[in-house]
Amino acid sequence: MSSKIGFVVNPIAGMGGKVGLKGTDGVLKEAIALGAKPVAPEKAKETLKEYFSNYSTKDEVQWFTCSGAMGADELKKSGVKNIEIIYNIFDRGTLPEDTRNACKKLLEKNVDLILFCGGDGTAKDIFEIVDKKIPILGIPAGVKMHSGVFGITTSATAKMLHEFVNKTLTIGDVEIMDLDEELYRKGEWNIRLFGIAQGIVEPTYVQVGKTVYESVSDDAIKDELAEHVMDEMEKSSDSLFLLGPGGTIDYIVRKMGLDNTLLGIDAVYNKKLIAKDVNEEGILNLLKNYPKVKVILSPIGAQGFILGRGNLQLSPKVIKKIDVDNIIVVSTPSKLSSTPFIRVDTGDKKLDRIFIKKEFMMVVIGYRLSRVIKIQTNNF
Amino acid sequence: MKRNAKAFLKAEYNDLVSKNLDWKLRILESGSTPHAVVDGKKVLMLCSNNYLNLSNHPRLIKGAIDAAKKYGAGSGSVRAIAGTMKLHIEVEKRLAKFKRTESALIYQTGFAANAGLIPQLVGEGDIIISDELNHGSIIDGVRLAKADRAVYKHKDMGELDKVLKEADKKYRRILIITDGVFSMDGDIAPMDKIVKLANEYGAMTYVDDAHGEGVIGSDGRGIGAHFGIEGKIDVEMGTFSKAFGVVGGLIAGSQDLVNFAYNKSRTWLLSGSHPPAVAGAQLAAIDVLETEPQHVKNLWDNTKYFKKELKSMGFNTGESETPITPVIVGDSGKAKELSNLLFDEAIFALPIVFPMVAKDKARIRVMINAGLTRKDLDFALANFEKLGKKLRII
Repeated sequence: MSSKIGFVVNPIAGMGGKVGLKGTDGVLKEAIALGAKPVAPEKAKETLKEYFSNYSTKDEVQWFTCSGAMGADELKKSGVKNIEIIYNIFDRGTLPEDTRNACKKLLEKNVDLILFCGGDGTAKDIFEIVDKKIPILGIPAGVKMHSGVFGITTSATAKMLHEFVNKTLTIGDVEIMDLDEELYRKGEWNIRLFGIAQGIVEPTYVQVGKTVYESVSDDAIKDELAEHVMDEMEKSSDSLFLLGPGGTIDYIVRKMGLDNTLLGIDAVYNKKLIAKDVNEEGILNLLKNYPKVKVILSPIGAQGFILGRGNLQLSPKVIKKIDVDNIIVVSTPSKLSSTPFIRVDTGDKKLDRIFIKKEFMMVVIGYRLSRVIKIQTNNF
Repeated sequence: MKRNAKAFLKAEYNDLVSKNLDWKLRILESGSTPHAVVDGKKVLMLCSNNYLNLSNHPRLIKGAIDAAKKYGAGSGSVRAIAGTMKLHIEVEKRLAKFKRTESALIYQTGFAANAGLIPQLVGEGDIIISDELNHGSIIDGVRLAKADRAVYKHKDMGELDKVLKEADKKYRRILIITDGVFSMDGDIAPMDKIVKLANEYGAMTYVDDAHGEGVIGSDGRGIGAHFGIEGKIDVEMGTFSKAFGVVGGLIAGSQDLVNFAYNKSRTWLLSGSHPPAVAGAQLAAIDVLETEPQHVKNLWDNTKYFKKELKSMGFNTGESETPITPVIVGDSGKAKELSNLLFDEAIFALPIVFPMVAKDKARIRVMINAGLTRKDLDFALANFEKLGKKLRII
């Protein structure tokens, strides 16, 4: 059976980067004035070239895309003849609305996957429309790529597309991150977790016979992680548990029958939710009443951050009070396969140094199962 | 509710068949010999674990027959009640001497040893630290234990050290478990370094030497002898079913270990003991290893020759240090195709494909045997060369 792939290029993505604008949202004219040249079309071309020359021979793919620079140009240049144009941009520049409108059309066509070329901003625009309905895969071309939807390189993305079409990759949760570009240009770092999308991930396998392995679903692994966390809560019944944001922890907490927030920090004591979506001040207040605290975190986004991205409520002040040794990191193995490090960027050099000194952390990857992962501090 | 109690049997089997995950059993119509008859076809056997060809050795056959004649076909009981024969004790004593350890214990199978002993060595509040590529029967033993588990990157001593350092703070007992010879790649665990690290932290060491027993170390004494650390590994676990040519699991170590193991391992306590013929053949296998060094030598001569020739043809044989010879061909489809073409040419060698090995490292796994002649090896090599060129692997 053939796969239906939707293809969307954000032709202006990445243009701000080379001229030092840290993003392209709202500053396209300025970027062009500074001499910025399009980046995304080239990245899209590279990926398609890689895909068609190395992988496509046996893949049956139906392509759905937008006219001109938003997809059709690059597909045509790659020699694809059978293209269905689902959205016309005519001869004007593109806007986030165009990406969103194109995605609405792609959903109507029941595509199996949206392959897009852009950065975090494009990922967010797409996610706003497709939510968790279908998986998305990003060709990395933006200034910022903190979201977990991107292939590491254009050639890795081509390979992932091929493996998706051949069903050797599976679908799993990936975070969509959002950085406030205006604040960022002023020197303030405010990256938030925007939502959990469906991405394509490496499946986890278990040996079921001497030479037989079966893939295990991401949810089955998360069930194990949930069981592990519940055990921890039982063992430390006198501790307050602070649960971080993200898809993995969201799943675990829902499994416990609690109504949590996906994007914020929740507090659980005696298996009951005692505070929801607490801010820094709220956490500090809780710490006054609960001397024993454990924090459950999971890597967020593409680079494996457990602190400093999407959970600024866990400020240096909070972490110092709780103590680094009371942090429990949980992750599905598929997530770790794309993030070789656990990264922290607390914004406090002293605290970062404590992590550097630790060198590595035990990360829980299954029920009572863990492995060591190196820690890196922010070096981007 | 009136349920259909057995519908799942057919449904689940059919599901496996549709996914091509069911076992299609190949039937041997001869003994497990280098030239065997498989599914009616005479083939060169390159996938048996009978490394030294001892399953066909006259002394082992005689050992089995004599014991059966003298003591009968079965043992009559579990070891713990009335099934421990003098013959079993003799095998254990001879085995300890061969392994140069204080004591040894025979289990019904290697799997019974792992599944029975590992969960007894560690419990709640303890941790098992395991190489990520450990074999399935270790993994099941580990799963049955109530202990926490941590894995370290394959043979990465730096990572093992880090896990030990973390585990040291939190746990009562620490057990490090590794395969001795890894069955997919044929590489050897750095047991000397593992023992050294374990001693620093007061951790126990457990090695599954199923593919090393009878193969590595002087006269095939296994991984302890290979590194010159006999008696220093806390549990040397192995099997009589591979190079020893019979069946049965074994552990070798201290008398304390053996006393503990047979009183605590449920697999040992609750399965019938080996029939006299098995024990007689096991004893003869140890005899042969101690007195006929040519088998181990032939195995290694064959291994070196085969690997050298494969390499000169341009094949990649990976990291193997043992007679397990992976012929890496790339993607899974190609490995299966090569295996089928080899079978057409009367060579029986199994493909090992993703996810058992990395996606781009699918391979034919050749198990070299001491009983293969130079002519046999040349026949296999000529076909590998011909088909390797045909499939554009070399």
